[in-house]
Amino acid sequence: MTIGSRHARPAVAVLAAVLGAVLVASVILAVTFGPADISPGEVWASVMHHLGLGATPLSELRDGIVWELRMPRVLTAAAVGAGLAVSGAVMQALTRNPLADPYLLGLSSGASLGAVIVLLLGAAIILPLAAFLGALVALGLTLTLASSLGRITPSRTILAGVAVSALASALTSLVIFWWVTGDSYREILSWLLGSLAGARWPAVAITFTAILVAGIPILLSGRTLDAFAFGDTSATALGVNVQGVRWSLLAVTALLTGAMVSVSGSIGFVGLILPHAVRLVVGPRHRALLPLVALVGAIFLIWADTAARSLFDPRELPVGIVTAIIGAPVFALLLARRRADA
Amino acid sequence: MTTRLTVPAMVAAIVLLTGCSAAAVTAPPEPEGDSTTTNCGIEVSFSNPQRVVTVKSSTTEMLLALGLEDRIVGTAFADGPVPEQWADAAAGIPVISEKVPSEEAVLGLEPDLVYAGWESNFSADGAGERSELQSLGVDTYVSPSACQSLSADHPALTADDIFAEISEVASIFETDATLLVSEQRAALEAVEPISGDRTALWFSSGSDTPFVGGGTGAPQVVLDHLGLTNIAAELGQAWAPFNWEAVVDENPDVIVLVDSAWNSAEKKIGVLEANPVTARLDAVVNHRYLVIPFPASEAGVRTIPAIVELSGQLRELELE
Amino acid sequence: MSTAGLEVDRVDVSIDGTLIVDGIICSVPPGSVCALIGPNGAGKSTLLRTIAAVEKPDAGSVAFDAQNLHAMARKPRARLVSFVEQDAATEVTLTAREVVALGRTPHQSLWQEESADDRQVVADALQTVGMAGFASRDFASLSGGERQRVLLAKALAQQPRLLLLDEPTNHLDISAGLATLDLLGGLAATGVSVFAALHDLNLALAASDHILVLHRGRAVAFGPTEATLTAELIGEVYGVRADLLQHPATGRPMVAFSSLG
Repeated sequence: MTIGSRHARPAVAVLAAVLGAVLVASVILAVTFGPADISPGEVWASVMHHLGLGATPLSELRDGIVWELRMPRVLTAAAVGAGLAVSGAVMQALTRNPLADPYLLGLSSGASLGAVIVLLLGAAIILPLAAFLGALVALGLTLTLASSLGRITPSRTILAGVAVSALASALTSLVIFWWVTGDSYREILSWLLGSLAGARWPAVAITFTAILVAGIPILLSGRTLDAFAFGDTSATALGVNVQGVRWSLLAVTALLTGAMVSVSGSIGFVGLILPHAVRLVVGPRHRALLPLVALVGAIFLIWADTAARSLFDPRELPVGIVTAIIGAPVFALLLARRRADA
Repeated sequence: MTTRLTVPAMVAAIVLLTGCSAAAVTAPPEPEGDSTTTNCGIEVSFSNPQRVVTVKSSTTEMLLALGLEDRIVGTAFADGPVPEQWADAAAGIPVISEKVPSEEAVLGLEPDLVYAGWESNFSADGAGERSELQSLGVDTYVSPSACQSLSADHPALTADDIFAEISEVASIFETDATLLVSEQRAALEAVEPISGDRTALWFSSGSDTPFVGGGTGAPQVVLDHLGLTNIAAELGQAWAPFNWEAVVDENPDVIVLVDSAWNSAEKKIGVLEANPVTARLDAVVNHRYLVIPFPASEAGVRTIPAIVELSGQLRELELE
Repeated sequence: MSTAGLEVDRVDVSIDGTLIVDGIICSVPPGSVCALIGPNGAGKSTLLRTIAAVEKPDAGSVAFDAQNLHAMARKPRARLVSFVEQDAATEVTLTAREVVALGRTPHQSLWQEESADDRQVVADALQTVGMAGFASRDFASLSGGERQRVLLAKALAQQPRLLLLDEPTNHLDISAGLATLDLLGGLAATGVSVFAALHDLNLALAASDHILVLHRGRAVAFGPTEATLTAELIGEVYGVRADLLQHPATGRPMVAFSSLG
């Protein structure tokens, strides 16, 4: 093999089928984990009961544990993992920056600010909405700032995003500092670190809808994203509507990320690391990368959340801590590899 | 927390030095010289403080219970209103801050002692580091039950620890707490634990993840004396995060709700009822709640009265 | 004047308020190579980018085969015109083949798989630039000259009728540069219009049929190469002394420079 050549990349369809099977298996297995003493058989019987087949062997309360607590949580973890991973991949393509993540344009800082304000006002009911609006406001500010500097370019947008994120974070800290009383900082901290502890069926509805509505346009954009490989001029010469594609993909990604963050807080590293990991195996072509990274993201977050709620049973870690513990060393490895390649 | 009190030893030494006679042994100790103790790992000595700044309700109320309101020059970071019986006494006390006071605000009152309810109140951006205050001639004291640094392997809090704390504070201020302590002891002994094997959850805050009373602090003391088994007793901290699945699995008979201005009992009931699984808990369906105000939920002079009060609430639930 | 090929009619282009290119008129018939020369900052890149429809002109029009390029839909235009820009770089890890395959984008729909036809065109393009053996090599591992050739193959994979190039020989060895220009000539022979900005006047003299000379954004001369590129013109535009000689091997004109005074 000559230096620099590569093995044939594995067939995408095969990989997708395998990952799909692993995802289904993960859902089935993850739902059996938890501090309550319920056997896997009982868990699955309960699930089947709710799907319309057979009776549940569990008491109403314990059946509730399976169907109202564990099931929606596992499903939400899958959706959020998929959404964040895909958003990260798209952001990295749009900004041509391998260190981009879904939160780059102020999305997570804005969502955090919205969430913290609502948590402190005691109106936790509208938390997802407040977080989503916060994300959109931050995005709007980022784009306004980027355009005020002249023509909008990827690097300007990233810089504007950094500025807006810093501002939103500062405001969040200020709000916490001035108004937090007693131990309400605990809830806030848990949200800021990213947690799926509050995921019930409404969260499943929100995240699945977001995946369907946003996911389809994103998956269709695979070939177009590939055309960005050599920059805007090259993409234009290849017939791509650079501005239009960039704006619409950005909007769709922002909506997707905003929906995810509103449900689970800002879970880090999923959108940053997983696209790179999947690229290592299937290469950079987005028609393969996007669907596969979604599957990998779903599987990853299901198990990260399972670990988060099982490792220190009965105490729960916010899942953002688990993804950070896994993600940070992997990120360092990635950086080292890039320096070696460069 | 369970600090070795050198004060009784010193009292004994003073008595011996002033002459061995039967009369001397029974006479009240003479307030003379400094008292020294180890508080949260730091050796501190006091000279009958006259100008005290208290941080948090637990410390303010401790001094009010000992009748020492005249010595308080300022308070900060109250967790709730002072109980009725001390309202008049507390009326004249200046409030420096709603939250942790700044070091400058504290020093501006020229105190000789800062008495804090949480160890974290003594930080550079709070009331000031303990060493710094000491070097400026201001003594510092933390409620012994709140000492974090000693929590690694010290045994769980007991009622005796609380009485010892009251006595220690009294001796620092060179006053007498024997009456107060014996009253509280008697009240505690009069409380009959509920019969049967009843379980309870001490729900302090949180919605997605409940923050509960664990096995080693004031909540455990209260539940023990009420005769209730704490479902989160395995948690080796005074308060710790828990999870709803475990709560539902245990299905506690009673839920203790900590009531505060920022997180009321009503709000917690709302959280329990909004969660589709906890809404089906026996305690929630049948409204078997005990309510305790936040300042009384931390170890201190209100713990025993709280036990008495909750015992009454528990009887009314008619669980037996 | 025939309407086939590229027609640039009084094009003005401003960027961020500054007029870069002023009143350019030129044409490139099909099957010919036109060189675009001028000192740095003359506006060559801007003109090429405008013809490629990356920039919009403030005034004037650009047409190919009588179709206004700026009025066309993007994809049909990309099937007509391809552009090899200066210093194209990527962070993405692609093989040479994958880079060339990007050139098929205007011929494919969003969800289509790569067709046998696409694969053939890509293979042919690599073959034409002499990089067929490098197809599975990582693009980033290639030398500057090899990368330039792959990027040229990408442009060829678009099967353009108008090929625009911005300094295609910049990073190339002399032999590679000459080979590239031969290639462009061969391409023109198949009917493609080739319009290339060139730094090296001798390459322009050797390889082009027509020449457009730009100086401070204005066209100072346009016409058949040998007739238009006189020693006086070169001297004026570049601020040097130029002497035209005859190339001993090819017999075509070449220029020698020396400083003034």
